[in-house]
Order: sequence, then structure tokens, then C-alpha cells
Amino acid sequence: MLSRNWRHLCRRYSQAVTFRTTEASPSQHNENQIGLFYTMEEAQCKQLFGSGGLPKSFMKQTKTFTETAIMVRQPALDLINCIKASDMNQPAIRYVLYGEKGVGKSLTIAHLLHYAHENGYLIVHVPWVSEWLRRTPRHKEMANSQSREGFVDLPLDAAAWLLHFKNQNQAMLKNNELKTSKEYVWSKREMTEAGSSLAALVEHGINRVKYACDVIDALVNEIKILSDSKVCKTFVAIDGFNSFFYPMTRLKTPTKKQVKPEEVTLTTSFLEITKNDWSNGVIVVTADQLAVPEEHQESFLPRYLLFKKGFEHLDPFVPIEVERYTDKEFLTCANYYRDRLWLRGPTEIETELKFTSACNPYNFMIQCAPL
Amino acid sequence: MSGNLRFLNKSITQSLCVLSRGYARRTSFPDYYQNPIFRKDEQSRLIEEGELSRRAKLPVKPPTVYESSSVYHDPLVNKVINHVMEKGKKQLARSLVEKAFENIKRKQIERYHLASSPDEKAKIELNPKDILHKAVENSKPLLQLTPIKRGGITYQVPGPITERRSLFLAIKWLLEATYEKEKQVHFPEQFAWEVLEAANNTGKVIKRKQDLHRQCEANRAYAHYRWQ
Amino acid sequence: MFQSGIKSFSLRQLLPATKLCVNYKNPLICASIQYSTKSVDPSKNVLNNLTDWETLSEKKKISKAMKAYLERAKEHDEFMKQQQIEYNIGKRHLANMMGEDPETFTQKDVDRAIEYLFPSGIYDPAARPLMKPPEEVFPARKAAEFDEAGRPHHFLFYTGKPNFFKLLHDAADNLQQLYNFQDKVIRKKATPDPNGKLELGSSLWLSKDQLEQVLVESISDLEYDNFKVVMERLAAFPYSYRYKDFIEKYRKPLVSQKFALEIPKPSYDDEGRAFVTTYECLRKDSRGDVTIRSPGTGKITINGKDLTYFEDVQSREQVMFPLIFSGMQDRVDVECNIEGGGPSGQSGAIRWGIAWGLRSFVDKDMLEKMQVAGILTRDHRRRERKKPGQPGARKKPTWKKR
Repeated sequence: MLSRNWRHLCRRYSQAVTFRTTEASPSQHNENQIGLFYTMEEAQCKQLFGSGGLPKSFMKQTKTFTETAIMVRQPALDLINCIKASDMNQPAIRYVLYGEKGVGKSLTIAHLLHYAHENGYLIVHVPWVSEWLRRTPRHKEMANSQSREGFVDLPLDAAAWLLHFKNQNQAMLKNNELKTSKEYVWSKREMTEAGSSLAALVEHGINRVKYACDVIDALVNEIKILSDSKVCKTFVAIDGFNSFFYPMTRLKTPTKKQVKPEEVTLTTSFLEITKNDWSNGVIVVTADQLAVPEEHQESFLPRYLLFKKGFEHLDPFVPIEVERYTDKEFLTCANYYRDRLWLRGPTEIETELKFTSACNPYNFMIQCAPL
Repeated sequence: MSGNLRFLNKSITQSLCVLSRGYARRTSFPDYYQNPIFRKDEQSRLIEEGELSRRAKLPVKPPTVYESSSVYHDPLVNKVINHVMEKGKKQLARSLVEKAFENIKRKQIERYHLASSPDEKAKIELNPKDILHKAVENSKPLLQLTPIKRGGITYQVPGPITERRSLFLAIKWLLEATYEKEKQVHFPEQFAWEVLEAANNTGKVIKRKQDLHRQCEANRAYAHYRWQ
Repeated sequence: MFQSGIKSFSLRQLLPATKLCVNYKNPLICASIQYSTKSVDPSKNVLNNLTDWETLSEKKKISKAMKAYLERAKEHDEFMKQQQIEYNIGKRHLANMMGEDPETFTQKDVDRAIEYLFPSGIYDPAARPLMKPPEEVFPARKAAEFDEAGRPHHFLFYTGKPNFFKLLHDAADNLQQLYNFQDKVIRKKATPDPNGKLELGSSLWLSKDQLEQVLVESISDLEYDNFKVVMERLAAFPYSYRYKDFIEKYRKPLVSQKFALEIPKPSYDDEGRAFVTTYECLRKDSRGDVTIRSPGTGKITINGKDLTYFEDVQSREQVMFPLIFSGMQDRVDVECNIEGGGPSGQSGAIRWGIAWGLRSFVDKDMLEKMQVAGILTRDHRRRERKKPGQPGARKKPTWKKR
């Protein structure tokens, strides 16, 4: 083993010169690579984040930089180590990522997704919950749920999510070991028998949009059973979890009644999957200020954002704070932006930007824009 | 008399430095307060001339809230932001202009990546502020038409234009061209478009300037009416 | 009665002791004859009488203006003398009251004593009680402007403001001479002396009030502006150093910026770090104080929060401006408490506070640079009040031509 000083020196040298690492596999990422960028292949990006997953501003950046590069940061590494060290026979551990606006929670989830994909997890990933509950274009397709009384369905969103699920888990679904355990009757003529593959179930949901929410419900149950019986390990990632617990959504029924999140079928499905009554899985959730309207954005701490119900639902959980850039990370980020021609000008700009953006990653990106 | 004096003062300062005045109008600071000089390059110039200690003994006005010695402060950009601003909403104006710069930058980076040879790559300008400077330079008119009435007919007489006025006209035309946009297109995008075109010597603004020059050339015969 | 008066006057004047005699040469009769007929008498005595009387009456007519002036001047002089005596006595009394030596009681001591004995809360210093020598209190008056014959001394007396117009006349004259000098120099093909350039940066032209005091005449605004234009033109000429004294007489030196360029001493807190607190950081409606601690890491705390207290970039830039300008952003810690006003006012107040505090931790060169950059000047501009009859401070109602 090289002596400690020598290692430090090497590290400092390599970091001063480069801001990249060639290590493209998240499972191999360790302390040496904190603050460095690693690039993801395009094919993988498309597969994992085809419909959502990365923040919109980041998507624009990938187009401009012609590559997708994510920085390896301490919270992600901590989570990976935790996952590696945890015992799969115990009930699934829940991790809650929290932090200020724009500090890197969604990108941490993206990093973890890549890791999960590499290690053969079955991925259940909700890119942004508020998209369903708070984003209402002129006419949101809603339907009253058929299987449950008084509940509201979001058929198109559910179908879109099923497609996303299919794309992410192509490899896993091809392998036909994942079979349903029960029979599901959708209507007089349609039913899915017990023992059919999950792929078929998902296809059915995509084709028959009317039953998509129920399909999701069924899927959730199946996944839990399959994980428990050790057929596959599951990785659940939900971004913006706290909007499930906000008192109101922006949805309105045709009778102009405001809908609460508990009355949406999708909510129930994903609340099911985040319960810790199943094992052989990992649940990662973010509590984000942007998921709620501005009046309730006073603090970024989970206790405030999740409200009482969410806190009790998720209790016990492991909170992980995602912080702003450290000095070193800031420097590497600045070097990367310079390399990608996003930031130009004399080097004094960096000291100024460090203070005006207060080392917040999102603000830094925004403030480099006009320079 | 006081009006004449004011005019004299104004015209003198105008010919020396169009943009480096911090305050647009007479302020409550008395006349003997000097304008502040805080940019690093201007200060080093002062030090070379040995003027620094002399000026340090005189009273100096404080710089405005929109100026700082940071490297990314530019008086021209500040002026453009002021012209974009309505009802005193400076933050909004600044964010619009910054988004426009972002758009310019993205377009230029795209072009850069599409360009094949290093020569072409070197020609593409990536700094949006330089592009803005160039666009404004290209769209500054050199003459202006003044209406003069002689014998009942109002002639459009070509005449000289001051530095300040031509800069004002350039920025005003850029913004007017941007306001004639479609409803779906956002201001920053349209502004980015206009600036890029003007920097390339094409586009609506350049056309307007060239129309003006052509008119001046056509009305050359009336030029003597300025003195009649 | 008049006649007898005249007779008696002439008698007393000419022949105090002679008897009256009815004679053709008798001055009495001649005088009476003169008075009644007004014809020229060839006799010398009569002519003498005539000239004497006329000159006497002329003197009387001429000196009406002169007489009035003389009376006024005499009154004024007496008044001033009286005031001076009273002032001196009063000074001695004051010295006795304060228990100090009357002989060595200077004007400064007088001022101090008055401030102590008559404390006043009045805002305007000119309205507070004062005791000054009469020359300072009563305005100066001009000396005799015309002689006994009524001819004015000054060649520009009939302009009404002779001193002022003499000043302008001198300036014009000097300018003409400078032109001639320049012609000579050009003919000799020499260049102007570069060292002789006038130093006009650190002084101002006298203000209107001061000029009025110097000239002992009242001047209108137009005339004052005219004066400034003329003097500027004279001073801008390359050879104006030849009339340096003339120009210096009408320039007032500016107060140098002593306060800004001072370096206050930092105090030391419990951990041994040097810190400086600036109270009363004002800008618009914000009030606050700023503390700078010296061996620091660049941490900034505003009202307990980080720099993110300001959400917009511009306010943050303003707070960082003095630190980045002097290069101290990594070497000091800043703590501020601010209240009142909006983001722009608050950030301006903090900017001034930081700059003022940084004076203790920065060397002299950088201090001069900061002064030239203007960040050490306190911004005393406040919102202008709305006036009655107008919608805003300056905005007027719609102008109607008729």
C-alpha cells in the first residue's frame, strides 16, 4: 500500500488536473472519486431516464454539453455503502434524502438508479410525483375509479408510468422468472391468469389505459411478493414524495370538487410499496420543497415537509442530507464547465461565483449561464 | 445661463465617456463629487498615470447598486437591462436578459460542436457579451434625419449624430424588433435571435439602419438646410 | 427776514468789525443791491462777495448726497466702535464668569463658553446664540465711493456693481494678454511649461455667497454663472499659470477626505481575534451594524442567516463587492444585523459597513483605491417627498397649453 501522504498527493494531483474519472460503474465508485464527474453512455441514459428521472434543466445541459455527466458526491456514496452493507433478509430500509432547493437530490437518485440497474435490481422509479398531482394542463384526463369507490384515477399518467417501468426494466422483464401469483380479472372478457409474466401484465396495462391504475396496484402487490420470496431484489425510488402528503392537489373532479391525494389510486399504490412489510429491497425517497406550493416552503427538513401522516408512514427511516458543494467540488464543477465551454472568462470569476451562488449547485449553473 | 452651463457640462462629459457615468441625472451630490472608478483595469490605468493619490483626497460619489468591481459587470449590459426594464422591475429585466444570453450561448455551442475544422471553431464567438457588443456596434447609425420646416414643407434633413444618441437608437431598435414577435415565442428567445442576427450583419435591425442610411444619402441635397 | 439773514451772514463773513456806512462801496448796500438786482458789479468786493456766496451755496447743493453719506458713515463708525467696546467688555465679563484669564481669552474660548452657558437644541447652527466680533456680525460696507465734488473714484461706478464688473474686466484683460503671450511663444516656436499647469482639482470656485462677501456687493444668479464661465475659460488656458494669484484669490480649497482615509484600531475579543464594529450603517431606510473579525475564513452571516438571506444575485454581489475588490474574501468573517428597508437598501448599507470596517485590516494603497472606487462614501440620498398639487415628487399634472 502506498503511504498516506503519497496517496493524498496523487489524489490532489489527479484532481487538480482532471475533473473526470474514467470509472463508469457506480458500484466501483469510492472515496477517491468524490467530486469527480463520470459520464453515462447515451443508450443507458435513454433507457433509464427516457421519460423523466433527470431534472429538466439538467436535460437541457446534457444537450448542450453533448454528454451526461454526474458528479460523485458523498451522500450517494454513503447510500451505496449502506445498501452494500445492509442485510437483505430484514425488512426494506427506507432512506429519505433532503436538502435545500437545487442542491442535488434528484441527481443523487439518478446516480443510485444507475447503480441499481448495474446490479440487477428491479427498478420502481417515480420521476416526479407532483407531475401527477399538481401539474394540470387544460384538461386532465381523470376518471372515477372502477375498482374502488370514491377514488380518482389518472389513466394516462398511469399508462405513461407503466411504459417508463417497462423501459427501465427491459432486461429483468425478458427473463421470465417473474410471474404473477394471482389471477386478475379486469372485465368480463379480460383477465390475466396466475402465473403469467409481469411483462404481460405491464403490456396489458399499457394497451388498456382504462385499467392502468389497477394494473399498477396489482403490479405493486406482485413485486412485494416476489421480493419477499427472493425471486428478485427491488429498488424503489420516488422523487418528491412529500407531495403525497400535502393536504390538497390541484386536481378537480368534473363536479369541481378538489381532490385530496389520498383519493387518488396512484397514491395508494405507492404508499403500499413504501411500507416496510417486505424484504429484499431498498426504498429511497426525497422530500423536496419544490413539490409543494410556495406558502409551505419555509423549511427543507423532512419533519416539516412530510407532515404528520407522512412522517408516521415512513417512520423509521434513515435521513440523509444532501449538502451544497464543498470547495473542492466547486472547483471541479467549475473546471468541468470550462471544459464544456459553459463558463468562460478569467479565473477571478470563480471566487465571485462561489459567493454569489453560495455554492448551491443549481444556482451556480444558472449564474454561469450568461457568462 | 444655468441651462447653457448644464448643456456645456453635459456635452463635455458625453464626448469623453458615454457609459461610465454612474448616475443618469443630477443627483443630490454636489457637483464637485467625482465619479467613482472601481473597475480593476481603469484603476490600474489611473495608477500608471499617477493620479490615484490625488483623486483619493477628493470626495467621490458611491457607486450605484447595479455596479460592482466584479469581472462580469459590463456597463453596456447594464444599459440594455435598463432599457428592457419596465415599471422599475430590475430583477425581472435582468433575468430576461440573462436567459437571452443563455440562449445565445447554447446556440453558439451547438454550432461549435457542429463545426468540423478547428479554424471554423475558432471563428465562432462563444461569449454572449461580446456578441452583444458586436451587435450593438453593427446596428449603430452614423447619421440621423431631422425634420426642418422651410417654406411650409417639412424636409427630412440628414445630419450628424452623437455617440450617445446612436447607442440609444441601436438598443432601442433591437428591442423594438424583439417586441414584434409572435405571442408564443418568449422574449429571451426572440432577443437572442435578434442579437445573433445583428452580430452577423443580417436581420431586421441592420436593415433598418441601412434604410436610414439610404434615406440620408437620398436626401443629401437638403443637407444645407441645417444652416440656412 | 431772509434779507437780514443774508446781510448778517455777509457782514460776519467779511467785515466783522467795520461799521455800517451807506456808501456805494458799502458792502451792505452792495449786497442788498446785489440781491435785488442780480447784476454784475465790477467792484472787487462785490465779485468777491459773489464768488464766495455762490461757491458756498454750490458746496451746499453738492454735498447733499455727500452730506447724507458722511452722516451715515459717521453713524456707522460710531456704532461699530460702540459695538467693539461692548464686545470687549462682554468678553472680559465672560472670562470672569468662566473663571479664566481675561487677557488670554480667545474667540474659541468665547464660543465654548457661550455653548456651555446657553445650550440650544436648534438645528441650524446660525440660529443658535453666538458672540462674535462686530466685524463678523455686521456686514461690511463700502468706503466712500465718490469724492467731494461728487466724482466717483471707480471708473465703473455707474454700472451699480463696480467691484464685480472690475473683476470681469480684469479677467478679460488677462485673457487678452495671455493670447498675446501665446502668439509670442508660437512665434518663437517654444512650448508651454508643463510644470506650470494649475492645480485646480482640489479647489472650487467661490460660491455665490462667498463671492458676495468678498465683493461687498449683491450678485444675481445669472451674473454668478457668467463669472464662473469666464473664470473657467481663463483657467482652462494653457498659460494661465501666469495669473495664478488672480485665480487663486477666487478659489476655495476643498476639505480633504481625512475621515475616510483614517485607520481605526481594532479591538480584540475573547478568542484573541481582532474585530471592528461599524454602527449606524445607513442606506435609504435600512439601519444596521456590521462586525468584521480578522483571521477568518470568509463566512458571512446576515441576521443569523447565510448569504442566502438575499435571494437575488445583485444584492449578494453588492455585499461581496468590497471584499472582492480588496481581495479579503477569504481572510475575514462578517456578521451583520440589518433591519428596515428592502434588499437594495440593506445590501447597500452592508456594503458600506464592510468597506468602513475593512479600513483597519487593509494597507494604505488599497485604502486609497477603495476611496477612489467610492465605496467608502456614505450614501445619504433619501426618498424625495411628494409635493402637494403634484402626483409625485417630480411628476407634474398633464401640461395643458391653454
